[in-house]
Amino acid sequence: MSWLRNPWGRPRWLAVVTVLYILWSVLPVVLAIVFAFNKGRSRTTWQGFSFRWFTGSTGSVFHDPALQGALKHTLLLAVVCVAIATPLGVSLALGLQRWRGRGSGTVNTLMLLPLVTPEIVMGVALLLLFLRVFPEIGLGTTAQVIGQVTFTLSYVVVIVRGRLTSIGPEYEEAAADLGAPPRDQLGRVLLPLLAPAIVAAAAVAFAVSIDDFVVTQYLSSDASTTTVSMLLYATARGAPTPALNAIATVALVITLATLSLAFLVYKRFAGGKEAATLAALEV
Amino acid sequence: MHSRWTWRILSLPGVAWLSIFFLVAFYAVLSVAFGNQDTLSLPVPFWNPLDWNVGYVLDALRNFWHGGPFLIVFARTIKFVVIAMVLSIALGYPVAYFAARHAGRWKGLVLVALIVPFWINYLMRMLAWINLLAPDGLGTKVLHHLGIERAFLWLGLLAEPGGWLNGQPTTVILALLYGYIPFLILPLFAALDRIDQRQIEAARDLGASPLGAFLRVTLPLSVPGILAGTVLVALPMFGDYYTADLVSASTQTNMIGNQIDEFMRQGSEKVTGAVLTMLLALLLLVLMFYYLRSTRQAGAEASTA
Amino acid sequence: MQGEIRLEELTKSFDGVVAVDGIDLRMPPGEFFTMLGPSGCGKTTTLRMIAGFERPTSGRIMLDGSDVARVPPHKRSVNTVFQSYALFPHLDVAGNVAFGLKYLKLTKEERTRRVGEALELVNLGGFARRKASQLSGGQQQRVALARALVLRPRVLLLDEPLGALDARLRKNLQVELKALQAELGITFVFVTHDQEEALTMSDRIAVMNEGSVEQAGAPREVYEEPRTLFVADFLGVSNLLAAEAVGADGDACSVRVGERTFRARQGSTEARGDVKVMIRPERIAIEPYATSGDNRLPGMVERSVFLGGSHEVHVRVLGGELLKATVANDGKPPAVALEGGEAVSLYLPPDGLRVLAAGEPRRDDGPAERTP
Repeated sequence: MSWLRNPWGRPRWLAVVTVLYILWSVLPVVLAIVFAFNKGRSRTTWQGFSFRWFTGSTGSVFHDPALQGALKHTLLLAVVCVAIATPLGVSLALGLQRWRGRGSGTVNTLMLLPLVTPEIVMGVALLLLFLRVFPEIGLGTTAQVIGQVTFTLSYVVVIVRGRLTSIGPEYEEAAADLGAPPRDQLGRVLLPLLAPAIVAAAAVAFAVSIDDFVVTQYLSSDASTTTVSMLLYATARGAPTPALNAIATVALVITLATLSLAFLVYKRFAGGKEAATLAALEV
Repeated sequence: MHSRWTWRILSLPGVAWLSIFFLVAFYAVLSVAFGNQDTLSLPVPFWNPLDWNVGYVLDALRNFWHGGPFLIVFARTIKFVVIAMVLSIALGYPVAYFAARHAGRWKGLVLVALIVPFWINYLMRMLAWINLLAPDGLGTKVLHHLGIERAFLWLGLLAEPGGWLNGQPTTVILALLYGYIPFLILPLFAALDRIDQRQIEAARDLGASPLGAFLRVTLPLSVPGILAGTVLVALPMFGDYYTADLVSASTQTNMIGNQIDEFMRQGSEKVTGAVLTMLLALLLLVLMFYYLRSTRQAGAEASTA
Repeated sequence: MQGEIRLEELTKSFDGVVAVDGIDLRMPPGEFFTMLGPSGCGKTTTLRMIAGFERPTSGRIMLDGSDVARVPPHKRSVNTVFQSYALFPHLDVAGNVAFGLKYLKLTKEERTRRVGEALELVNLGGFARRKASQLSGGQQQRVALARALVLRPRVLLLDEPLGALDARLRKNLQVELKALQAELGITFVFVTHDQEEALTMSDRIAVMNEGSVEQAGAPREVYEEPRTLFVADFLGVSNLLAAEAVGADGDACSVRVGERTFRARQGSTEARGDVKVMIRPERIAIEPYATSGDNRLPGMVERSVFLGGSHEVHVRVLGGELLKATVANDGKPPAVALEGGEAVSLYLPPDGLRVLAAGEPRRDDGPAERTP
């Protein structure tokens, strides 16, 4: 395609802009991660390399009770959220994908709404729900889980549906043709083919849950229901130590590790990185 | 093969969940907005539409109408969002274009670089900037040395040297840009990537210059992508409050999200908060449905292509 | 009777669009039966109804005497080879072939034995452990065949199974499939749009168009004695001339083509008025210009296409139609020069000239019996 690369060198400045954008996008976070390994208390002046904010001394992520608590609570919410949202989402995806006829359009819209609703609107709505409609549940961990499931559900559905579309009806037809009853068509054929997408969807739900802020904050009750995001928000402007950078880094590593794992699983079993890209594009 | 009901039954748990925890939650907003406040300043929802009390809603609307604080905040929100949006497109389009059409063997890597911000905690990204723009931060020093600080001071975009984090609208807008531009670039990339290379080749073959082919083929074809990306960015930006809170911490830069947040979590005006939430949601409903419809159309077009 | 299918008034419509319009067909047991037609003619829909993937809007599907139209596909002893093979990607070849055996209540040894037999049958003896993605198109097709045949169905349905293969592979597999069917004696119901394929392989062909069966019969019958314009045109080259049927001439029909009168012995010889007459390219004899005698039509050669084994000569006749004649390539120079611009005379023998009533093509509403 060299004839598209005209003598004005147009693509060259595009490349420059892109590189500069990527640097601008990534560098600040890289620096924040670097400072998590700072020896001193400063978040702006480098004082040497150390793991002290992660472990070993007081005030580190693994020793400070507040930081530890936040990390644990974040992971707790994420695990429970995924445990509920994944089966719920897979079931809904299967149902929606094959549902022909009345109602399917409405349900589809309902499923997509949480994805496009601004977080504060969701937060306020859920807050009022647990204050006035379900006061028995009230605010706290349960409410936080329920709130998170409500929007991660949509991510799961979209990812699983995408894979269902590319699988198509053929394999189940072949299974039926060979004698498999509907139960086996799903269990022996469809679900094994769907498994990589389910794993990917669960991973995405996990990542979304870890990074969630508004809904989680609005539905929190006391200090025991603090998550990493909430901690970052509350402390960032104060005079925090690099421990804050450290806990953010830990959460980031967990998220990226989960997603990478899921991406690899998907690629190995389902083929095509466009599929995973598509999943990310749905965001 | 499978019965018609299999699919409806499979959908049931999900639908039930969304109905209860999404639809009912929204109804709760309406009921509180049209409700009242009790002696403890707690909101009392009026569930029956026939009982609805329009008092608080009218108060809010009057506030807007007469140029009160709500209108000021709302106008400021629009200003921030529009500027951030324009900057997003100005910066995002070239990047998306490069990634989609000129990246060649770097395409995969560039794509990963574009996707990564999604998976970094938004607050961590803001935290990074707080670190950088602190009075003694690296960013402040660099901006000072590059003369950019002086330019901003001169243009009135910065109030005092090193005061980036002190209630500066500029900082809020740039932070919004930083935070949300990935949401624009990715759909834009997808739209540009989808454009058939052969259409551009045909234009060139018929005599168009590279710039001409871009203006007359690529750009028009990418407009749906621009619109979709714009909406995808505008929706969360309108409801944003944490960005302004983190990089400004002054009520001078309050967006409508901040106002709602103050009412709901800090103040005792939850009814007014609900009213504002409702009004915001209604405004954004238009945008939300537009986006949903355009993605469905794009999906249909893609499957016929 | 094992493996006889009768379709009775079978209809299928989708949202008001009629895909299959009340067809009646009989597929005798043990025969290679082909449904032939262009895209959208309803052949695939009919096949899917026989398999059970579509429910008929009305009508009956009789499999050896019982109506299976409402029976779910997993309960019919009918198996399908799909156009895209639909091999299960998460199972290997043996796993694919063994898939349906689970429902036959066999012992493990029997299952293994049958799988081995099926793979031998399709010449894939050593391929048991391979995955579908590691196989070529032709090999995948054989696995699909083995997977279906291992269950010993009464009827095997094949939905354009050779469509995705290149020409040479297709020809080879056509021969193999035909031999396989003859060896096994199972009824094969084959769907294709390729008329050559249908003629090569079938014992019986049903030509379909727009949801109806235009004609059903043995290949020779359908080719030499097409009943409608559509069938004449679809199978091979048809060479149609506009004519007027003016009366009987002994056992033939007298037709006027332009200024000349011809005798036509085939087709609707009792028809009168505006008709079309048809002749196959291989029946036309090319003679030097102004040869005397009946049933001769003058014309001018436009071009001659060399097909390897023969020449296809395009001749423009007085009425303006373009006729195509086949001249075998026997290595010797032809009796008449076949270059463009050459004037020739075409001999259309009465036995090869077929009268087709013009206007609405007569549909073949014949009953289910179609004994040759």
